[in-house]
Amino acid sequence: MSRQGVDNHHPVRRVTVAGRVQGVGFRPFVYRLAHELKLTGWVFNASGVVEVAIQGPADQLDAFARDVIERAPPLARPELLRNEPGEGEDFQAFEIRASQAQAEPEIHVPPDQFMCDDCLVEVSDPAERRYRYPFINCTQCGPRYTIIRALPYDRPNTTLRDFPLCADCDAEYRNPLDRRFHAQPLACAVCGPSLRFVSGQTRIEGNEDSLAAAIEVIKGGGIVAARGVGGYHLICDAGNESAVSALRARKHRPDKPLAVMVAMAGADRLDGARELAELDQATAARLADPERPIVLVRMRPDAKLAPSIAPGLNEVGLMLPYSPIHHLLLGDLGRPIVATSGNLSGEPVLTDPAEVEARLSTVADAFLHHNRPIQRPADDPVWRKIAGRMRPIRLGRGNAPLEIELPVTLGEPLLAVGAFLKNTVTLAWKSRAIVSPHIGELDSLRTVEVFRQVSADLQDLYGVRAKSLACDAHPDFPNSRWARDAGLPLTRVFHHEAHASALAGEFGVLDRDMLVFAWDGVGYGRDKTLWGGETYFGRPGAWQRVASFRPFRLPGGDRVTRQPWRTALSLSWHAGFDWAGAPEVDPLLRTAWDKGMASPVSSAVGRLFDGAAALAGVALEASYEGQGPTWLEAMAAKGRDPGAPDLALVEDEQGLLRADWSELMAWMADPGVPVADRAAGFHAALARLIAAQIGELARRFEFKEVGLTGGVFQNNLLASQAASAIESAGRIALIPERLPVNDAGISYGQVIETACLASEPGESGPSGA
Amino acid sequence: MKLEPHIRLAHGNGGRYMRELIDGLFAARLGEQGLDTTVDAAMVDVPQGVRMMMTTDGFTVDPLEFPGGNIGSLAIHGTVNDLAVGGAFPLYLTLNAFIEEGTETALLERIVDALAAAATEAGVKVVAGDTKVLARGECGGVYLATTGLGVVPASHKLGQQYVQPGDKLIVTGGVGDHGTAVLLAREEYGLRGDLKSDSASVLPITEMLMKRPGLRFMRDPTRGGLATVALDLARESELSINMEENAIPLSEPVQAVCELLGYDPLYLACEGRVVAVIAADEADDAVQELRLSGVAPDAAVIGTIGEKKGAVTLTTSLGGQRLIDELEDDPLPRIC
Ligand SMILES: [Fe+3]
Ligand SMILES: [Mg+2]
Ligand SMILES: [Zn+2]
Ligand SMILES: [Zn+2]
Repeated sequence: MSRQGVDNHHPVRRVTVAGRVQGVGFRPFVYRLAHELKLTGWVFNASGVVEVAIQGPADQLDAFARDVIERAPPLARPELLRNEPGEGEDFQAFEIRASQAQAEPEIHVPPDQFMCDDCLVEVSDPAERRYRYPFINCTQCGPRYTIIRALPYDRPNTTLRDFPLCADCDAEYRNPLDRRFHAQPLACAVCGPSLRFVSGQTRIEGNEDSLAAAIEVIKGGGIVAARGVGGYHLICDAGNESAVSALRARKHRPDKPLAVMVAMAGADRLDGARELAELDQATAARLADPERPIVLVRMRPDAKLAPSIAPGLNEVGLMLPYSPIHHLLLGDLGRPIVATSGNLSGEPVLTDPAEVEARLSTVADAFLHHNRPIQRPADDPVWRKIAGRMRPIRLGRGNAPLEIELPVTLGEPLLAVGAFLKNTVTLAWKSRAIVSPHIGELDSLRTVEVFRQVSADLQDLYGVRAKSLACDAHPDFPNSRWARDAGLPLTRVFHHEAHASALAGEFGVLDRDMLVFAWDGVGYGRDKTLWGGETYFGRPGAWQRVASFRPFRLPGGDRVTRQPWRTALSLSWHAGFDWAGAPEVDPLLRTAWDKGMASPVSSAVGRLFDGAAALAGVALEASYEGQGPTWLEAMAAKGRDPGAPDLALVEDEQGLLRADWSELMAWMADPGVPVADRAAGFHAALARLIAAQIGELARRFEFKEVGLTGGVFQNNLLASQAASAIESAGRIALIPERLPVNDAGISYGQVIETACLASEPGESGPSGA
Repeated sequence: MKLEPHIRLAHGNGGRYMRELIDGLFAARLGEQGLDTTVDAAMVDVPQGVRMMMTTDGFTVDPLEFPGGNIGSLAIHGTVNDLAVGGAFPLYLTLNAFIEEGTETALLERIVDALAAAATEAGVKVVAGDTKVLARGECGGVYLATTGLGVVPASHKLGQQYVQPGDKLIVTGGVGDHGTAVLLAREEYGLRGDLKSDSASVLPITEMLMKRPGLRFMRDPTRGGLATVALDLARESELSINMEENAIPLSEPVQAVCELLGYDPLYLACEGRVVAVIAADEADDAVQELRLSGVAPDAAVIGTIGEKKGAVTLTTSLGGQRLIDELEDDPLPRIC
């Protein structure tokens, strides 16, 4: 590089930018910014940071330091690490230098991205060559995680390897000033993927014709299985009740709420959403976030949605279109659509055209395929406002793999295989933890296959080989068996200790004791019964169970989740009250219950919610997991606590505080109290119980933070009341907000628990597994 | 000779009481089957040109008597069926009886009666035996052990190594009857309708199936039920197996009990069924023949052998593919 003239003796500045700056088009952005500001110098990727040298007038250098953060690409999360005078070398131009050779490159696998604003403008502009092209993308948008086959993240290592770039695309790909510079999924109508429509004997090729055919089907009240980013959606007109009920009948999904996708409209893009739901600042921001999640929001009473979108609920799951296919579909259709996962219940979303045609042949009237292969599934992420904040309840396309820094440093890489329901896996090494997208319920072959694939892929993609494993202590989980047979050192972590540790890890509270309420469906406990109403004192690696509930039987085992009346009957038998609304049941069930046959013992609050919902007549049967509690929460919104009986706190032989629910449950069955008031009273009584436990336990232990975790705290009413109770007791309420509060957080909790056990030998551990 | 109403320790001490027990109770019932109590070892005739197959089995069941049988009939069926599904024709059995002091003599008589009847029906001879009496509390009433000897045709070609992708899985009757009947009997639930054990010799079934050149494999789904047989076969053959939930025969009372108590009938024991693998082109014929002949009226094709994988799946009535896995212990709820 030659020296320049005297007039060019401008100062040099060295700038280091950390944070999420890789795989998000950050270097091209720096390049363009430098050009715009007429600065010279260079930029390159170093270990996890971007190093920049710039030379120019001082005010331009200041503008650069400001704009490099403020005008960063939407996907970047830059932090200015260094901005100081550099050595006085004169630069002629600005260049992107090759990444610095590193012994261990810091790899980041980006989640799949929405369609950015620039592409949206372009796809809508008839003058553009990508006008209405369903696979338009750029460095700032488009698929990532679901198309990456291997690293490094270059086009031949993606599922677009079979689409050689045309001359126009290639020029964009090579031009550092182009916003498609090194955009790996880059495509256009000439060289890229295309749509295909199939319905019965009808076969249509070509983007516009296929799209038009799919829209005809939807307009006619039919159901289309449409391939998107992380898999297929089942799509129908969200305002057409007969279409929605046909979808429900064919999918054998009578009640579980269906997600609705609504077109972007208006200044903030949410005018369409506002016609369907009441948005506040937090839910609006989440809906419009580039992550484009499903957000559970309060449905407007006058929303033009089919009544069976979300039976029994006053909320609806909304999302904005996130891929060009969805934009085009919604734009042409002009009305909101149901966009629910194209799968069988509990399985990961289907990704393969042949498999979809085989397995959804009785569900979909037509298929809108494309030929950009999906390497691994990613379901849509879901968020809900719980206790005043937006919190994820499912990780997926757009936000996973989710990287969370570890508050501890691991000696060697660890893979934690998670729980049975809402399974995720977490790969952790050094001080990094990567949580996978939602995988599903592990009782189907397909879920287990995806579990195995994701476990292997995460290690391949990050170039990290697990040296040890962690799993749930339940002996019958397929993932725990897989871990047992893998031939690596294995730590079995008890379910609710993993819940508690996930919470402590997320908030980085490892150095002091706290109190954690781990309330959920059921999980295998240290005494081999099914826990789920546990209160812990301590910290990861050293949890002490200090409170629980009066145990009760679950007659019929797993069947109780679909038949809440079973739990209700059991509670009435335990407590000796009469349940007038009880269904007729074969007396054999009572005999079995008396003898403890097929009636495992539990202390799970999720099941108490089921029991309460059945006793109140809100849900005696449930067609999806958690229906009883969800309906009870919705019912509670219409009533108020008329003074529900408190749960008595009784100390058992082991010094454990046991909450006795018998009086409350008898009251839940009282037909003299309006159902909505019973529902509200039940929530209030549980919130008061949390306050009472804290009061009692504060006399025995010292703690400032109180955590709420486990699937029960997806319940906004309970979580809000409990959080206020905690705060009015002068303590800090912690509820997970980066990871789901439900079992999706278990794999991360297994990592935290295992790491803390390893670093503190001699503490109480899961050796009893 | 009239025995005392209860078995005493003295019945096992080698003296007069023991002789009375053996002659008066066992030999009186099993003499026809060829039991010779005057010798310590029995001489048996063996046909020419065959191979021998031997098996041994111990029997403990609580309660000792259950609807559809007792431990005596079970001790014959268990061993006879192990030989039968191995492709053998059972010929001779030996019997060991461990009897707890205080056992009612009348109960023991009923057990040995049932044992003798089952042996006669299956065409096997009980040629040698032994009894021991254990002190009270040392054993749960009566334990039996039988060892069986059978002959196998020289052309014998049965086993997991012959199973191929595309072959069909059949079961010769409703699953879980024995397990359910014993379970309910043990827990003093009382009798329930026509629910009884399926305990029976499967020889008529295996003889019929063995005439088919496409027969690859047979096993009786006892402890662990149909699921465990499928899992064992998948593991040993390194092939996958997919079963159709709707195709698996299930008697109405078994279904009702499983529905009510949350049991999975696939894991409940049978004592008179055969799970067989047969070439795809013969499976329907074989099942038709079993049904029409009356030896197995509820026989059905329930699944297909798949490519190499080793997984066992159940296609549910809703079209999902449930993974069938082995149980560590009693099934515990997994739903959280
Ligand atoms: Fe849980
Ligand atoms: Mg045996
Ligand atoms: Zn873009
Ligand atoms: Zn192109």
